[in-house]
Amino acid sequence: MQLIEALKKKRKEILSTWVDRTLDSYTSSGFFKRSTDRFANPVGANIREGLSKLYDLLLGKADQKEMMEPLDKVLRIRAVQEFTPAQAVAPILELKWVVKQVFSADKELRPLLTELDSFDCDVDRAALAAFDIYTVCREQLYKNRVSELKSGRYILTDSGCASTLNRQGQESIPKLQ
Amino acid sequence: MAVVKVDKLARSVAEGPSLMTGSNPTKDWMDVPVVFKPGNYAYTTKPEKLEYLDSQQGVSFPNARVWNPEDEDWKLPENWKEIIINGLADRLDKFRSLKIFMDCCVRCGACADKCHFFLGTGDPKNMPVLRAELLRSVYRQEFTLAGKLLGKMAGGREMTTAVIKEWFMYAYQCTECRRCSVFCPYGIDTAEITMMLRELLHSVGCGINWAMEPVANSNRTGNHMGLTPQAFKGNVDFLCEDIENLTGIHIEPSFNRKGAEILFITPSADVFAEPGLFTCMGYLLLFEAIGLDYTWSTYASEGGNFGLFTSNQMMKKLNAKMYAEAKRLGVKWILGGECGHMWRVVHQYMDTMNGPADFLEVPKSPITGTVFDNAASTKMVHISEFTADLIKQGKIKFDKSRNSHVKATWHDSCNTARAMGLLEEPRYILDHVVDNWVEMPENTIREKTFCCGSGTALNTDEIMELRMRAGLPRANAVRYVADKHAVNMLACVCAIDRATLTTLMNYWNPDVQVCGLSELVGNALIIDGEKRAENLDEGLRTMVF
Repeated sequence: MQLIEALKKKRKEILSTWVDRTLDSYTSSGFFKRSTDRFANPVGANIREGLSKLYDLLLGKADQKEMMEPLDKVLRIRAVQEFTPAQAVAPILELKWVVKQVFSADKELRPLLTELDSFDCDVDRAALAAFDIYTVCREQLYKNRVSELKSGRYILTDSGCASTLNRQGQESIPKLQ
Repeated sequence: MAVVKVDKLARSVAEGPSLMTGSNPTKDWMDVPVVFKPGNYAYTTKPEKLEYLDSQQGVSFPNARVWNPEDEDWKLPENWKEIIINGLADRLDKFRSLKIFMDCCVRCGACADKCHFFLGTGDPKNMPVLRAELLRSVYRQEFTLAGKLLGKMAGGREMTTAVIKEWFMYAYQCTECRRCSVFCPYGIDTAEITMMLRELLHSVGCGINWAMEPVANSNRTGNHMGLTPQAFKGNVDFLCEDIENLTGIHIEPSFNRKGAEILFITPSADVFAEPGLFTCMGYLLLFEAIGLDYTWSTYASEGGNFGLFTSNQMMKKLNAKMYAEAKRLGVKWILGGECGHMWRVVHQYMDTMNGPADFLEVPKSPITGTVFDNAASTKMVHISEFTADLIKQGKIKFDKSRNSHVKATWHDSCNTARAMGLLEEPRYILDHVVDNWVEMPENTIREKTFCCGSGTALNTDEIMELRMRAGLPRANAVRYVADKHAVNMLACVCAIDRATLTTLMNYWNPDVQVCGLSELVGNALIIDGEKRAENLDEGLRTMVF
């Protein structure tokens, strides 16, 4: 059986394991896996949609540009969660492991394990693109911080307004006991 | 009562850790300590702010000190445990709601997946049921017979410094938006549990600066920004100059004018920060168009009340200032601008804290004669109620084409939607001022609206990541209508929303801008004698040189 054909045949199983493993990186992942409502469960739904589309694009040998949209869907979320950069990007690379697990468990597909080099390379490329997106997202976070400062909202604190003068001599304000 | 579901809810069902990263803890929630690191906590209150507030009458903010959540030692007062337990006892005695909320939860889990913090983090302690459990476990241990006898077996646990740290982490990962309460079959108001957690934390000197500095400013100068009366007036005058340049309408608003019919109070961010400035220009134009007899106050120069996020005494004090000013000026009633939590305080707490405001009259629109019976006790009317009535009675005219640059969607701000039921008026106004607007999906609007993720004084930049993940459910619904209907404007009636949704959109949906409803009103409003500049492609926010 040809590799791409096998990957298509096992699509459901591979995607299911891949998405589940990705969502397992959250402490309490039951709801993320279970709910299919994309508005009630944005993390689960976006990650499922993103990885599914990415998988199909990988199988279709799509251009890397096309992969940016589904990768963005996944990475924009993970870039603001409590993951290290490695943890944020790791799920993309895990696809390689998932495919090998699924193929190993099927006698008919086992011979294809030696033919995965090219597919693995494509996954690696997607993971590298994912890291680019991760970095863009992090930069956007810092831009957000700067633009809040520039917009003047920071004056809620640390303001140099006239009332700052009141701070002087505050040591002398008697405390209520 | 047996603890049935919390453990189950909180335990990950993962079968093994990620091969690549080894992440995925599977411990019981009580055994997972919190870890503070840059980005997941807001900076602590500056001692001088706390000392100043503690010196003020009617409020208590003791134990001011320099401390860092990342440090092992939080420099708590020696008798911290006694302070906390006694504080909890006092509050259980004083607030019957708290006692009921501690006892009546059956851990059904209906709230568990409704919190935007949980949905953005997957952290079980952000499930409202478990956030409440952080307090409830201590309550059981100290105040119930089963807990005293059986301890952990009865869902109780010792009050330790680790618990304090957990409280600090999760009391500041709740925006008191009350979405969870909509789904609770018992109507438990988890926001009030967060409020109690924050009060108890304040009793041992643990708070965040982004809440306390605005509170200190508001207590001292009347507004969060710490603007002096001169600066406040100067900013409004500056906006009037902009309005004249854009529309040819000359406005001379009055300040602190005794004998005015109406006192107008709005968040100070409206007179100071984009995009609230444009909302404020909308108010000014509307009032000019109808010839309203109103005054601004440079004393009650803040609608926002960060006391709500701090302590009930502080909330009461800051709320009282609005009514004291109304009394001093001798106005008939108060008109309130586009604020969120001001309205929660007015609708849910004002009457029993500072009311009834008998010295004011039941609000009656001087233009239409409509009596606002819904505000018969608080004497305070929302600008959207007021505007919707003007439209309904045919007192103002619009040219919708002036908003042709806008394809809007409507964000129900948590407090106005869930705490005062302001659902229809803004939609009615939108229908009249823009050609195009669409609703977001049903389970993300009206009473079920998702929070901006940065309310309750969490709109500070050092927790930007936390804010972005908490705002994901809101942003995700906006993205849907942006993709499907080319929506480019997220309209709302809350000053915190206007600031924080702008940042949220920059991250998740950069093609979507944020505006206040009154900005859209101001854009479309037809006023006698106006000479609108040509090419106001972006309405009131068009830059004119």
